[in-house]
Amino acid sequence: MNQMASSSYSNPPCAACKFLRRKCLPSCTFAAYFPPEEPTKFANVHKIFGASNVSKLLNEIPPNQREDAVNSLAYEAEARLKDPVYGCVGAISVLQRQVLHLQKELDATNADLMLYANNDVSHSHPVQSNSTFSRTNAQYNGGESNPGLLHPYASPWNNDSSNDSKSM
Amino acid sequence: MTLKGGTGQACAACKYQRRRCASDCPLAPFFPADQPKMFQNAHKLFGVSNILKILKQLDPSQKVIAMKSIKYQANMRDKYPVYGCLVEIQQLYYQIQMAEEELHATLNQLAYYRQRHQQQEISSANESLSRLQLGMAPPGNAMTIINQDNPPQYDAVTALPITYSNNDNPCYNTEYLEAKENNVVDSLWIQQPYSNGNNSMAMQSQLSNSQHLSVQQERAQDYDEIYPFFDTIDDRQSYMDSKEVYESSSESSLKDTRQSVDQIAENELKSAAACFSLTSVN
Repeated sequence: MNQMASSSYSNPPCAACKFLRRKCLPSCTFAAYFPPEEPTKFANVHKIFGASNVSKLLNEIPPNQREDAVNSLAYEAEARLKDPVYGCVGAISVLQRQVLHLQKELDATNADLMLYANNDVSHSHPVQSNSTFSRTNAQYNGGESNPGLLHPYASPWNNDSSNDSKSM
Repeated sequence: MTLKGGTGQACAACKYQRRRCASDCPLAPFFPADQPKMFQNAHKLFGVSNILKILKQLDPSQKVIAMKSIKYQANMRDKYPVYGCLVEIQQLYYQIQMAEEELHATLNQLAYYRQRHQQQEISSANESLSRLQLGMAPPGNAMTIINQDNPPQYDAVTALPITYSNNDNPCYNTEYLEAKENNVVDSLWIQQPYSNGNNSMAMQSQLSNSQHLSVQQERAQDYDEIYPFFDTIDDRQSYMDSKEVYESSSESSLKDTRQSVDQIAENELKSAAACFSLTSVN
């Protein structure tokens, strides 16, 4: 039997090796995360981050989390390609504004509720604002902790702001 | 030894690459020498050539913003090697969902108190009317009391279009970022290398859908509209529009209910007046 090229008997090359026009070895780090059916995924990631950077990043991550890492990189790469200025940070900005908007709506609604509570004739059902989404959430940009949330989260951007705020 | 032209120190980028920092170094304005870690993060994620490629296609004003977002992204990836910026996005989605639920509950509560307030007003009006009638004639069987057994059902609140998750936002796959994955959020915060298999698997399955995330961001013609939280510019236009939509819809639905309650009160008063006129003959 003629021995054809090994790639004919092995799995088809992954999207990364196909893009890079190289032989897809069994030990290929990208094969598991960049299937040949999704060529755009690797193309985007390579365009923004570079295959070597991605490879180095993956090597520092446990194998069971590499797929998640690749998918997050693919998402960020796609975002950056669609919006070269803001990338995925634009989405963060939009979401933060939504949070602020909701906070303002909540504050206004709670204020109305208090009005009815004060004017309640029977006073048999004192109104209590059960707001767990505290006003401090509105100060998200300040990086303050959010006691209303299960997991207080300070934006790393604000943590780094002391290093970066004066750089520009 | 890397030296900037003149007596200035080489920027962090040139220092890292151990090369001379020219006076027109494109990265010098963004990576000062006293912040080497910031450049290392950016270099690790993007690489110098990729950063320069991104900057090349932008205007000078956009370059500043782009570099801020690049540095932010790199710092997030350094802090969260697996998920990077998605940690922040997921957290924000969680906050939005919590706020929406709370707003919905508060509006329900407000509607209840408004309804009760209106019923109290009606009952007090009827009470004063009945006192009048008692003073003029014996109360007859035709005296009508407001039937409070079946208060008007207020369902308008449930129909309030809380569309924040579907309005003015990039169409991210919300299934991927549901709050029910709180255990996933735990894993994100802790970032255990070998976290609970269930958590990582849940995130894994969720993230597999992230490939289909359609990033439909607000690509404004002028980037002043989408100015990230870097400079905390308060852009009121976009969410004022959505606020108007939300307020008008909520107001209209509440107004409808109020009108129906008023109508009922009016009908009761009319019937009470009719009984008065009949009984007064005797």
